[in-house]
Amino acid sequence: MEEEGYIADFNGIEKPGDYFHRLRDEIQNYNEKFHAFNFIPEKLEEGFPFSVKDNICVKGVETTASSRILSGYLPPFDATVVRRVKEKGFSFIGKTNMDEFGFGSFGINTDISARNPFDEDRVAGGSSSGAAVATALIKYHIAIAESTGGSISNPASFCGVVGFTPTYGAVSRYGLIDYANSLDKIGLMARSVKDIEFVFDIMKGKDEHDSTSVDRKIENKKSRKITVIDEMISGVDEDIRKSFDSLLGKLEAQGYKISHTSLKEIGISGPVYYIISMAEASTNLAKFSGFKYGLKVEDFSLDYNTFFTNARDAFGEEAKRRIILGTFVRAASVRARYYQKALSLRALLIRKMREILKDSYILSPTMPIKAPKIKDVEKLTPVQNYMLDILTIPPNLCGFPHISFPYDYIDGLPIGAQVITDHFNDKALFSFVEDWENNFTYKFKYNLGEI
Amino acid sequence: MKIGLEVHVALPTRTKLFCACSTEETEEPNENVCPTCMGFPGSKPVLNREAVRIAKSIAFVLGCKIREKISFVRKVYFYPDLPKNFQISQLDASIGYDGEVSIKTKKIRIRRVQIEEDPAKILREKGMTLLDFNRSGVPLVEIVTEPDITSEQELRMFMHELRSILYYQGVDIDREVKADLNISLGKERVEVKNVTGIKNLIDAARYEIDRQKRIIDQGREPIKETRFYDEDEKITKSAREKEADEEYGYIYETDLTDYDTSGLVIDRGIIPSKEAKELSEKYGFDEQVLDELISLDRDAYRLIVSAAGRYDPQIIVSVVEQLKKFGEQSISEAAFEALLGVGKEVSLTREMIDKAKKGESIETSVNKENIEEKVRKYMQDNKALFEKARKDTKVQNFIIGEISRKYRFNPKQVSEIIKNMNLFK
Repeated sequence: MEEEGYIADFNGIEKPGDYFHRLRDEIQNYNEKFHAFNFIPEKLEEGFPFSVKDNICVKGVETTASSRILSGYLPPFDATVVRRVKEKGFSFIGKTNMDEFGFGSFGINTDISARNPFDEDRVAGGSSSGAAVATALIKYHIAIAESTGGSISNPASFCGVVGFTPTYGAVSRYGLIDYANSLDKIGLMARSVKDIEFVFDIMKGKDEHDSTSVDRKIENKKSRKITVIDEMISGVDEDIRKSFDSLLGKLEAQGYKISHTSLKEIGISGPVYYIISMAEASTNLAKFSGFKYGLKVEDFSLDYNTFFTNARDAFGEEAKRRIILGTFVRAASVRARYYQKALSLRALLIRKMREILKDSYILSPTMPIKAPKIKDVEKLTPVQNYMLDILTIPPNLCGFPHISFPYDYIDGLPIGAQVITDHFNDKALFSFVEDWENNFTYKFKYNLGEI
Repeated sequence: MKIGLEVHVALPTRTKLFCACSTEETEEPNENVCPTCMGFPGSKPVLNREAVRIAKSIAFVLGCKIREKISFVRKVYFYPDLPKNFQISQLDASIGYDGEVSIKTKKIRIRRVQIEEDPAKILREKGMTLLDFNRSGVPLVEIVTEPDITSEQELRMFMHELRSILYYQGVDIDREVKADLNISLGKERVEVKNVTGIKNLIDAARYEIDRQKRIIDQGREPIKETRFYDEDEKITKSAREKEADEEYGYIYETDLTDYDTSGLVIDRGIIPSKEAKELSEKYGFDEQVLDELISLDRDAYRLIVSAAGRYDPQIIVSVVEQLKKFGEQSISEAAFEALLGVGKEVSLTREMIDKAKKGESIETSVNKENIEEKVRKYMQDNKALFEKARKDTKVQNFIIGEISRKYRFNPKQVSEIIKNMNLFK
């Protein structure tokens, strides 16, 4: 494990003259097999490599959020995070694969699913599947990803990388193709938390283009207490449960005080999350109508309703499902029962979790299962699918910062744990995981771009 | 009969409601546009503070309670002129609520004043539908009344009053106003949507009142429906849509945070009809004349206020009316004062106004004939006094003083004119 992070290393190493040319070809070759990228530029600039999830705008680069309806969309501007990172001399190496518009937990709601670098028959997780795969493949690289309900933690856990989701509002969302505006957070994945901290400092802060971004000081209020919520470990697979218990043992040995508590409201977080996120998503997807950008329906002789219906046929099945459900929960006759109720339950859950977070971290496994086989997840019903997000949803729903970090390998597959802290205390997470990294070495099967 | 209105008014801001694009009208379509007002994926709205400030001022002059914390909602419907297929608008946390506008016969309650964005403009030409996004994102306020209007006459008065109040907020809604009209003579509500201009609004209402009256006279009930006003044929037409309550699927616009309006300094503005009433009571103006004079003329109001109480109200009104004929009501208050000195029965000339504007004395050249005339008239009425004056300079001065006071002439000038007329010899 490097002492100073990969960025410091990379900048300190003499690189061959054709380094970036070769890196590009190598990424392109491996992409044939792993499908981490939707787009790789012809030529790479010099600088520490960074990738961008395909729902974040890069000026003049096709940005589709893995949706056919956006094919050909060339944003006329850079997302604020992309602009800020570019300005610091980082090198853009491509747009990463994802579930369409972020709708999914396994990265399979896309043309070609990204493959897990630890076992190609298994999923990479989702929705930021390509970001996690790219991080697991490329040695010197940082991924700009995005999470609404767990889209960073989940694939980070399945692919054995570090995934950081900041406090809602700490990082500008300008340039993000919205899934659910009150839940979307742009975050990072890397092979070391040190790199994440470095790039987070570049990305964060108020942006005049995003009214929800703030200039709050990011704290580093460390704690020696860890709380485990019973409801967050009761449903996990046996092998994960066992492994997590041994993690708690190790942390206890490192001086953390572990306590267990019950928080029954965790049980409602799934339905609350899906109601709010689908309600917002169904309005965000309304704009895709097939004539201003992305997919264009050429037949202008159609009446508007037909024209519009034809265009929206380009959405994938999960997108259509969420539009229908989201439109339903907003309807005047049920709005109070679903949408409004979900909003007040979210506020309740935030209060309850803050009580715990004021003097301790919350720790849980990131996912209740190891990365499943692609052929197995295809058999899941939508509800079974949604229920697998149950551990990543609570911090995402409440806007709490959290990191998923690898802590064990079972049957050769990485598994991650998720540490959560209070709003705007993101830096304490970096300290926590840095401590962990000092005592644990992450495993990687690939080191593309190794010098 | 019950009539309620939803009136949409464009706010006079330099930039659009959620982006920095100019609101200025341009020859070229789609010139003042950006990713935000085109609804491009990845763009975000950022609220224009000045638009909220003007909306707060308008809510205030309409007698509304002002919300300290406002928020926005997404109103979802699909139409080609709506770039995101939802409109950012307000609902239960609108800037103003519970206001009222007084007309002669009653008070019309204002239910709500809300801020929202204008859609793009649709042009239909040669069988094509063209979209111009220059207007997309222009800030609007929607003023929603309670159904308190009960006749065409009241509608007329209300629109006149509203136009006058808004004029003093920097908006003239005469032709540009867009309104939805809810009219029910029977049990069910008929909505006439998207009427443009005050004249059309009143014509549409008149037509619709007659139409519903005829139906009722035949012993039937007007049905609940949405109609449109055809400006060419001057009739309302059924939209022939399936009738259901409108379903907009409102949710909060969470790209915008709750906005605190308490720091926004409003233009206190005036309610012109109220001003006319107060000035009339205090200084003896004819209220109706004054109301007409100032209701859509900020300069007339300024001049009148500058002189009220110091000059004869009839002279003030007469000079202002004449200035308006010359289109010169924007002159300075000092120049106005000089013109007031010439008296109420004098017709202003272009030359007099120009002199007044330059600060030159206007009495000597222009007013001579008028003074001569008045002096002759005075002499006719006071022959004995003039006899005495031939021998007595005190009496001469008394006469000069009397004429000057009576007709508000300059005494020096009167004295000179009398001397030249040889009246004391």
